[in-house]
Amino acid sequence: MSLNGAPPVPPPRRTIALSWFVVGLLIVAGVAIAGTAAYSALRSSGPATPGNLTVTDDLGRTVVVPLDPERVAVLSPSIMDIMFRLGLRSHVVGVDCYAAADGGLAEDYSPDQVALWGLSSSMCIQIGPTFAPEMLENLTPQLVLASTIVSVAEVETISTTLKVPVVMLQPPTLSGILVDVDLVGTIFGVSSEAAALNAKLSAGLYNATVVTGNLSTLPTVLVTYYADPNGYWTYGPGSFGESLIEIAGAIGAGANATLPYPELSPAQVLVANPSVIVYGVGFGVNESTYTAGPLWSEFSAVKNGNLTGIDSNWLTEPDPTMILDGLPTLLAAFHPSAA
Amino acid sequence: MGATARAGPTPSAERRGRRRWLLLVALVVGGIALAAGSTLLGTVAIPPQVVVQVLLHEVSGGQLYPDPCAGTNVAPRLCGAYEVIVWQLYVPEILLALIVGAGLGISGGALQGVFRNPLADPFLLGISSGGTIGAAVIYVYRFEVAQADLFLPLFAFVGAVATGLLVLGVARGRFSSVETLLLTGVALANLLSAVLSLVLLYNPVGSEQVTFWLLGGLGLATWEVDGIAAGGVLVLATLLVLYGRALNLIQLGHDVAQSAGVDARRVRLRVILLASLTTAIAVAFTGIIGFVGLVSPHIVRRLWGTSYRVVLPGAAVVGAIFLLAARDANYLLFPGSLLPIGIFTAFAGVPFFLYLLYRQRTGSTMGSV
Repeated sequence: MSLNGAPPVPPPRRTIALSWFVVGLLIVAGVAIAGTAAYSALRSSGPATPGNLTVTDDLGRTVVVPLDPERVAVLSPSIMDIMFRLGLRSHVVGVDCYAAADGGLAEDYSPDQVALWGLSSSMCIQIGPTFAPEMLENLTPQLVLASTIVSVAEVETISTTLKVPVVMLQPPTLSGILVDVDLVGTIFGVSSEAAALNAKLSAGLYNATVVTGNLSTLPTVLVTYYADPNGYWTYGPGSFGESLIEIAGAIGAGANATLPYPELSPAQVLVANPSVIVYGVGFGVNESTYTAGPLWSEFSAVKNGNLTGIDSNWLTEPDPTMILDGLPTLLAAFHPSAA
Repeated sequence: MGATARAGPTPSAERRGRRRWLLLVALVVGGIALAAGSTLLGTVAIPPQVVVQVLLHEVSGGQLYPDPCAGTNVAPRLCGAYEVIVWQLYVPEILLALIVGAGLGISGGALQGVFRNPLADPFLLGISSGGTIGAAVIYVYRFEVAQADLFLPLFAFVGAVATGLLVLGVARGRFSSVETLLLTGVALANLLSAVLSLVLLYNPVGSEQVTFWLLGGLGLATWEVDGIAAGGVLVLATLLVLYGRALNLIQLGHDVAQSAGVDARRVRLRVILLASLTTAIAVAFTGIIGFVGLVSPHIVRRLWGTSYRVVLPGAAVVGAIFLLAARDANYLLFPGSLLPIGIFTAFAGVPFFLYLLYRQRTGSTMGSV
């Protein structure tokens, strides 16, 4: 009632309708939020597992993981190699892939790997060129094992938004591969299989020290995985590849570079004068990629025929295959008389 | 005007003219000195004495300094490597920088004249995108000829020329205004960029090398490449210089040009075609190197005036020096590292570009354009 006795003015009809609309909107929003929260709470409780385990991954992150998870997403060929060698292939429900080209798998996995590991496009989780979290969620994994091909932001999305624990396996050195094998063995309850695999890997590393132990001088080598008109991509200080070259008893042509993954100009290769060149092939890179590289025919290793082309996975993927197949091949290439 | 012409140049005009000639001589001499000094710069530091002796050895056909490292303590094996590096890497690289810089400079000058727009550059008509698509075809589809011989630049050249011709073709006839031509070029460039992105998205292996193309580099330099590029750029640049007078008249308006006996439309098409071919050669051998074609003509205008009879050859000289300086900046600032040369031309070119915009906003017209 108005103080001056004038009759109160009713609100216009349009204002009333708008108020009801806003109230209705708020109710709908409230129900939606409550529903989402309930669904999220249900998800975070996760499927029934025998128990949990707290582990520290290669990036120093502490992660609580389900013990012996049945559904695992593997986002790196190197981790897939460990899983397969430990007899855990049946646990893998999804793997990394790139867009939709060639079924998505061909950019990350070689045809041999696809056949050996029984991979199919239905397992594809697109991580490049953009990460598609819905593809991961659709496979309902209990655990994600990933390397640094997955970015920190993507790890955050998986672990926080999708609430799936992520263990990062990115060994900094060859011996780090054994640590990862042990960790995977612990998570899946196959410690004895892991110990057996690690025994093989240790023997491989020991053999390398036997071959290289008596060398008076170490050869300078160029281990390259890509070439373009500017030069040859190789490994520099602090890279995993440098540790591989060192264990194989050689000095990389990029040992004095300022970057861990430098591109050496042909002038730098000429001055380094590597006595052996090892180049990676596969994934669209073949021998002609290198032979057409700048001043290739001028290198003394080329003139002397000291060239070896190897599966590029053996140079780039830090996994058991690198030690069991890649390392002996490098030893034979670097020290043909000793190996 | 006529009286002045009969009476001859005034003393101040004469002084100005002399000073311009001196500037030109200084620039050419400075350019030669820069080219000579550039042989000392590269991913590998070579003793200056060895560089000089290698050059004299090679130029004299081995008559001078039969042992290029004589008088130095460089080991024989290293000496052989230095010889290859200086004569087969550094010198061809320097020459390619000069040739491509000259080509981009004169193309930029010609297109700024044709479009009467100081912001026009050689990549305005989508030529760069076309060249990159051509290069990407080789890289992405992994032909066995990848990088080999001249297939890569050939594909890039074909892509660039095809794009230029397509733009000219689309913008011909009743749609032949300058605006239509420019907008057609811009639209096509965007379309080709989208196509390139799509192709790379589905072929990530090739994307590494296409990145080299997008940022430019002198890595394909060899004596053979230099010979082809120099031949092409020399012929096309000479033809472009012949259009200097016509471009001067076009600056006064198409009607004025027409009344002076210049068919503006025909000149425009021919100059665009020649500039496109010149740019295509540059793109074919070095990828996309920005700002050389944009900046060089402006420097010439500031130094020597706005006549296109001077701007065109002048832009070639300045463009050559600019690109060579960018190459040297790479090695001086990042010793031992290979960085795409387009980064350095952009670092130098962008401030100049902004300066240009600022001058335009404050009423300056940067000469007669």
